[in-house]
Amino acid sequence: MFQNRAEAFALVLPAAIFAGAIFLVPVLILLSEGFRSADSWTIQAYIDFFSQSLNQAVFLRTLKLAAMVTAASAVIGYAAAFAIVNLPPKGKGRVTGLIVLPLMISPVARTYAWIVILGRTGIVNQALVAVGLSDEPIRFLFTETAVFIGLLQLFLPLMIISLISALENMPRDAVPAARVLGANWLQVFTKVILPLTKEGLVIGGTLVFTGSMTAYITPAILGGSKVLMLETLLYQRVTMANDFVSASVIALILIVMAFAANLLLKRLATARNKR
Amino acid sequence: MSDSRFLCLEKMTLSYGKNVAVPDMDLDIGKGELVALLGPSGCGKTTTMRAIAGLMEPASGKIVLDGTDITRVPANKRPVGLVFQSYALFPHLNVYENVAFGLKLMGVKGSELDKRVIDGLKTVGLSQYATRKPAELSGGQQQRVSLARSMVMEPKVLLLDEPLSNLDARLRLEMRTELQRVQKESGVTMIFVTHDQVEALAMADRIIVMLDGHIEQIGTPEDIYNHPVSDFVADFVGFENVFERVGNTIKTANGDVAIAGDIDDATKGLAWRPSMVTLGDGPFEGTVRGTSFAGGTREYLLDTPLGQIKAECDASLPAHDFGAVLKFDLPVHKAAQLARTGSL
Repeated sequence: MFQNRAEAFALVLPAAIFAGAIFLVPVLILLSEGFRSADSWTIQAYIDFFSQSLNQAVFLRTLKLAAMVTAASAVIGYAAAFAIVNLPPKGKGRVTGLIVLPLMISPVARTYAWIVILGRTGIVNQALVAVGLSDEPIRFLFTETAVFIGLLQLFLPLMIISLISALENMPRDAVPAARVLGANWLQVFTKVILPLTKEGLVIGGTLVFTGSMTAYITPAILGGSKVLMLETLLYQRVTMANDFVSASVIALILIVMAFAANLLLKRLATARNKR
Repeated sequence: MSDSRFLCLEKMTLSYGKNVAVPDMDLDIGKGELVALLGPSGCGKTTTMRAIAGLMEPASGKIVLDGTDITRVPANKRPVGLVFQSYALFPHLNVYENVAFGLKLMGVKGSELDKRVIDGLKTVGLSQYATRKPAELSGGQQQRVSLARSMVMEPKVLLLDEPLSNLDARLRLEMRTELQRVQKESGVTMIFVTHDQVEALAMADRIIVMLDGHIEQIGTPEDIYNHPVSDFVADFVGFENVFERVGNTIKTANGDVAIAGDIDDATKGLAWRPSMVTLGDGPFEGTVRGTSFAGGTREYLLDTPLGQIKAECDASLPAHDFGAVLKFDLPVHKAAQLARTGSL
């Protein structure tokens, strides 16, 4: 398309300068903060961070919740995506639209909606008490369960959409062929659908995992300071303690975990393929 | 159960939601038969096949195979094989693994598995391709892997959906012979779906012609080819000049035209192949509106008072020019006498 590389380069330069100046440089400065000491480079800040039990707990909780949300979204996502792919074209468009719809609504609004639903006088508690399943309102808000539900609702659409496109790229008759060859539905899933859609699962899984790990609003509103996650901890360190070193440490941990999650998911996918 | 009623469809109705695709179908297929389901697209032939395979549940009626009612048996528990039009090989598995797929699920393993897979691949002449992925094979080879994958399961009935439609002309001939050979050697009851009358005539022991969800005619290739029962079947197997008959006349676009000859009282229509039309002599006249050379023969499209007539004569005869006016005849003794009309 271009006569020479210079033209293409010239076109991409403004975006590159912008991204470099606004994004890359500040991130590098922030990250370098965590390795700096009076006269040399050190990883002391990381050792200090992980030696505190609160930080350990927050780190593990973040990992656990992100993993749980990813796993749950995969299970629910496969069921939903499979059903949607098998709808007639008209219905498929409509249902896909409904799934994308939440992505267009502010996460703040969506998260506050959960307070209406899960709060002491929320719909769920009123129903539980009315039916007699519980004598008094159960505390959902500011628990890990609330954060889990909020994050799952937030990121499930990304998983479903990734899986829909993966399922649509599967050979049309692969599932009926497996059925006729004697596979029950579980075998159809593990031996045909899963290996053929693993790229979609890796993409969806990475999006949901990193999204859950780095989400701020949902854990802040539904978890508060009772259920701290790395992102809410980071915000606390900066606003309350002006502690940029911890912030830098947490930021790098989040970045590393995102890449690690992606690598791990890819590895899992190829391992299954070889078998 | 007798051998002639190996697979029976009894009042089977298939529908998609409220749309009935196949109403009340009755059909018996004998053990070891090679049967063609022939019909235009949308006639319900593929739907019928999917129902036999268990991929679609009949709204009503029964499917009985080898004396067992399999109407409610799920697809994975039926002794039925299906070769898909798209072949439906698993792209993540190599040829060997594709063929082994069903056997492994059956619990076959070790040397027994190995032997059956290798034998299956040998049958279709692909043993040296065992480690290839489907994407590295030609269409014809994929077709044969798909065939082997179904055959190693030793199904009681093997279904093939348009088995030759994705192959080029030469491969099609080769695969035709191959399918017949595999069927004769294994003795498996084989039903294939096709929209191509040539394919059906060449391969099948018996042809079931379908139209709009019902069976229009069942017969041997000779029956179907020479004695179509309806205007639809006649047209489908190459009787391109089809007329409704009333008394000693045929109905045409320009009114009834008298025709000479003996016609059965029950005959509702008359049909002629282009080759049955006498050219150069006869009571009718037509103007040449098109000619095409077809090797041994030359085909003419005539504009006539009866409507358009397709005629054909030996290519060694001198060609008639466009616009030439030719005498012709529709000899009744050659015509197919149709018991039903109105389905065209």
